[in-house]
Amino acid sequence: MVRIILLDVIVPVLSAFIIGLLFLGIFRKVVARIHWRYGPPVLQPFIDLIKFFGQKGFSHGFIFDTGIFLSIAGSIVTILFIPFAGLCALKGSGGLLVLLYLLIIAPLGMALSAGESANPNASIGISRKLILSIGYEVPFVLIILSLMFYYKTISFVEIIDAQKNFHWALFSPLFLSGISYFLILPAMLGLRPFDVASAPQEISSGGIVEYGGQYLALFHIEHALHLYIYLSLFVNLFLGGGNIFVFLIKMFVVFIIGIFIHSVFPRLRIDQAIKYLWRYPTLLALLGIILILIFK
Amino acid sequence: MTLQLILLIGFGGAVLTYFAGKISSKLREIFAVMISLILVGMIISIYGKYSQEILTLGFLDFRIIFTLNRLSWLFAIIVSSLTFVTIVFSLSYMKGKENLNFYYMMMIFISVSMLGIVFSGTLLLFYIFWEIMSWSTFLLISYNKGKALSAGLKYVIMSIIGSTAMLIAIVSIYIKFGTLDISAISQNINIVSFNYITYILALFFIGFGVKAAVVPLHTWLPDAHSEAPSPFSAILSGILIKMGIYGFILIMYIIIGIKISLVLGTEWIKFHYVLAWLGAISILIPSFIAILQNDAKRLLAWSSIGQIGYIIVGISIGTGLGFIGGTFHLFNHAIFKALLFLCIASVEYQTRTRNLNQLGGLIKKMPITFTGVLIGGFGLIGIPLTNGFVSKWLIYKSLFDSNQYFLLFFSLIGTWAAIFYGYKIIHNIFLGQLPEKYKDIKKEPLSMKIPIIILSFTVLLFGIFPGLILKYINNLGVSIGFQKFNVSIMGISTETGMLNMLNIAFALFIAIILVYLIFKIGKKKVKINQYDNYGAGSYIPVDKYHYTTKYYDPLYRVIRPFLTDYFDKFYSWIANCVKSISDTIRKIYCGDLNYYVIYILGFLATIIVLKIGSKLW
Repeated sequence: MVRIILLDVIVPVLSAFIIGLLFLGIFRKVVARIHWRYGPPVLQPFIDLIKFFGQKGFSHGFIFDTGIFLSIAGSIVTILFIPFAGLCALKGSGGLLVLLYLLIIAPLGMALSAGESANPNASIGISRKLILSIGYEVPFVLIILSLMFYYKTISFVEIIDAQKNFHWALFSPLFLSGISYFLILPAMLGLRPFDVASAPQEISSGGIVEYGGQYLALFHIEHALHLYIYLSLFVNLFLGGGNIFVFLIKMFVVFIIGIFIHSVFPRLRIDQAIKYLWRYPTLLALLGIILILIFK
Repeated sequence: MTLQLILLIGFGGAVLTYFAGKISSKLREIFAVMISLILVGMIISIYGKYSQEILTLGFLDFRIIFTLNRLSWLFAIIVSSLTFVTIVFSLSYMKGKENLNFYYMMMIFISVSMLGIVFSGTLLLFYIFWEIMSWSTFLLISYNKGKALSAGLKYVIMSIIGSTAMLIAIVSIYIKFGTLDISAISQNINIVSFNYITYILALFFIGFGVKAAVVPLHTWLPDAHSEAPSPFSAILSGILIKMGIYGFILIMYIIIGIKISLVLGTEWIKFHYVLAWLGAISILIPSFIAILQNDAKRLLAWSSIGQIGYIIVGISIGTGLGFIGGTFHLFNHAIFKALLFLCIASVEYQTRTRNLNQLGGLIKKMPITFTGVLIGGFGLIGIPLTNGFVSKWLIYKSLFDSNQYFLLFFSLIGTWAAIFYGYKIIHNIFLGQLPEKYKDIKKEPLSMKIPIIILSFTVLLFGIFPGLILKYINNLGVSIGFQKFNVSIMGISTETGMLNMLNIAFALFIAIILVYLIFKIGKKKVKINQYDNYGAGSYIPVDKYHYTTKYYDPLYRVIRPFLTDYFDKFYSWIANCVKSISDTIRKIYCGDLNYYVIYILGFLATIIVLKIGSKLW
């Protein structure tokens, strides 16, 4: 029991927190180098976090607080569903079908919280975020379905077990779904060209415009966990997971490619984004699922 | 004896309520609440006493049988308890409206007729109660007059088409079997051919499909739900459309039996898969249409069609898990949709509008209603820890187990549409800025708070401890002939995966507490006014504009062409054709005696000409 709590619960959550923030630091550094700037130190997000907790926060009401608690709590529970280098606390509690629902909690909590901030920028931000999410969720659901039907299970751990010894899903009939996942990954992570929801120059960072002090700190934690969740999902589902070092390296490689895309592309408008997402990734994911229908 | 007593008390009570209202309005309200409470009590008291009551007194040589089985008790308890809750809610909502004696009488009357439907042991009785329900529903939908009249008319026309189809089926069954007793028919079902059963099922499908609002028979629902008095909308959406589902379960699994109804159809197109696909279409398109609505009740009405789709998919997929999921979702939808309708009614009562583009910021004024909408909306979306999550998980799992790729895809995408309209309803009414004109709104009256609190509590209760009801539904499935599952109080386990709500609930609670503690590390927060926020150097104008108008506009532009309700247009086209044909006929029958004389003379002349002409030829 103690082992479960210590190892399966605390280790994944804590490392998700650290990995997420570290990746955000690396993100800023790499983008800066590509832009021919020097950039902040890699540990800057940690420093920022401590600084934010020292500042005074302004609250707009009950849901403004609760929404963001709900959001992070949702992310933490999601992390407990995702195997971290073989550790998975909630493996027998409903699998991928529950995961699809848990992924909803975090954006919904943020949306509720931002909704109460009563700021036009926040409303525009949420509206864009929700529309973007239906954009990537259509191919995402298709991808998850193709995985579940290919491996005939809804259990996360079993899908990873089946990919041991380089039987990665990316090199199986699922490769189309894998490519599709990679195409929607920037939209999921809110990277450019899909950063309409948080466009700082247009709508003052959208939903988080009213956040300050500990609220901004919590938002940064949520952002880091979000980054970890979607990257680790890709690594687990298509690149076969692996032990802790392999797992981290795989995540890092995927993320670096994401940063490269981010730093060279301009921002798409929301309707352009949704048209793109419903065209190419969805088409690929559909073809992927048809491929599995044929191969099974 | 008890079943007859329940119906007798119900119908008698309804009439008594009417006359009590003639004496005093207080007495009428006490009567209405007491009678609905007595009904709940009596139905709880007959839990587990499954029996059959044959009345010695016949009707046109038909036997009158009342039965109580697991299925009918489940529906009876939903019907009676929701009626009680809505009647309590009506006490303050309907205050000051006219014709209240009639309103309360009809409320009780409709729910007792629904009890009659679920207790009937013969198809004749079933049909009689069905018609009582349909007609009295029409009277209450049109209660508000004006637009409500045409909504009611639309409902009643579709209802008549449905019940005519059903009547043909019942007569045909009587000719074939010589009896209308449900148990007798189900025992002798083997004597007829599969083609005949398919024909009967198709006829019943029209009857029940209209009531359950399955696409393409859904067009009456959005008008009727939004125009009816709000507490009655809760009944309509919560239980009345579920009677169609009761009919489906009754005809498919009790009368015909699962062995036959799951093999009907050709090798490629099975009847129950056709039903499941109609369910999937009912999920997908109406859920997206719901996003476009600006009237809160109309939005919920479209969402009801979507949620009915889940139930249809669940019960018609033909596996034990699907049946449990569908039936559980039916139960859950009744609770959270009634909750949402009552909350909207409460908002409408305070602000006199339900236009989503004119409300906002009401969370500060109506916290209880907000909590209700939040929990109800979460149930609708299916966020873990609400009952909607468990039932949707069961439906998804059953679709996964029976390899229905695209049905599963449609159901999951329907959930995303639910997030959209669920968030829209929460955000546009309760979040954002509070308009100046709603500054002085009072808190909700007690009789509105109680139903909202009860229903919210139930949503969470069955979300965290789904086993309370799943055990019952599991036994119901077994009694019909489905597989038995291992149900614990916290969840359900199957061979290919299990659900455990305890883990999820525990993890979520601990996580929220953890985040709260982290939050507490920071400095003390400062509460600020709604106008005290960032506007890039300029201030946010007061009441100048409402920034939730056209909330999902970029999405509209992409999906709008796909979301026209072609069925409604098609029916309107038919109605117009019938009207123009009738108009042409009316020109002949103008009612003027002179014209009729000319017609008669003309007719005679034609005959004479023909007679003589044929001779001459």
